[in-house]
Amino acid sequence: MDELLLSKIRLSIIAELLGDEWVSFTALQRSIETTNGNLGAHLGKLIEAGYVTEEKTFVNRRPLSRYALTERGRTAFIAHVRQLEGLLAGTKGEAS
Amino acid sequence: MNASDAQEHLEMVERIVAASSRKLEAGGEFFVLWGLISGTLDLLSQLASDGRVPPSAMWLGPVLVVAGIVGSTLFARRCRQDGRMSFLQREFITVLWLTLAMALAVNLIGGNIFAQWAQAAVWSVAASIVLFYIGAHGNRRAQVGGIMMLASIAFANFNLPVAGYALAAGMYLGYAGFGVTDMLARD
Repeated sequence: MDELLLSKIRLSIIAELLGDEWVSFTALQRSIETTNGNLGAHLGKLIEAGYVTEEKTFVNRRPLSRYALTERGRTAFIAHVRQLEGLLAGTKGEAS
Repeated sequence: MNASDAQEHLEMVERIVAASSRKLEAGGEFFVLWGLISGTLDLLSQLASDGRVPPSAMWLGPVLVVAGIVGSTLFARRCRQDGRMSFLQREFITVLWLTLAMALAVNLIGGNIFAQWAQAAVWSVAASIVLFYIGAHGNRRAQVGGIMMLASIAFANFNLPVAGYALAAGMYLGYAGFGVTDMLARD
């Protein structure tokens, strides 16, 4: 299993980015409901792993950091979800 | 990780994905703006053709189009400030600008082919393509708006003396009307 995606916050960041071309830091924080520092640290790990890209831009002279899911991140997310589903199916199989 | 954790993570992912796969947010202001501008241009053309306003009133046209472009730019800027751009929204904006640009280009370069009311009808066709595109993503109000636009074209086609009024009604009710209902339906 992908160690990086075992964290609920990192998994939710990836899920948030899944259907969007990009999401700003503020919008992510609003959805995930965590502190600036915590979100920044988790995003840093995802960027380092190449799962997420960061772009810094200016809108109305205000700095805007926005994030997008990479192909590598999307593939890792799909594989991780499949493994979670497999784990669940295996447990249900053993129980019956 | 145990089965209970796996289930919890999967449920969380499902919740997030369901919340973020929102319906296409069309941006009602844009439709109200362009619906009113295009409808007013159709109306002015009809009034000028009937001799009820002097032909010089048509100079209002370029002023309205510039106002529309300024308004659209401000709207696009506000979208960027929302902090999120979905793939669907990006696709919608591309379709929207392409159809409007094509309609404008046809008006500029195809004046001989698209004579009389055909130039105004081209805008109505472009507007109905946009509405049906949104409608194809499950928006019933956009589908109704698109049908109203087509109905206005059909009515104009068989009632040429009042074609401008018919096309204007399509723009006001179908296009701007959709914009109003979209704004009212927003969370």
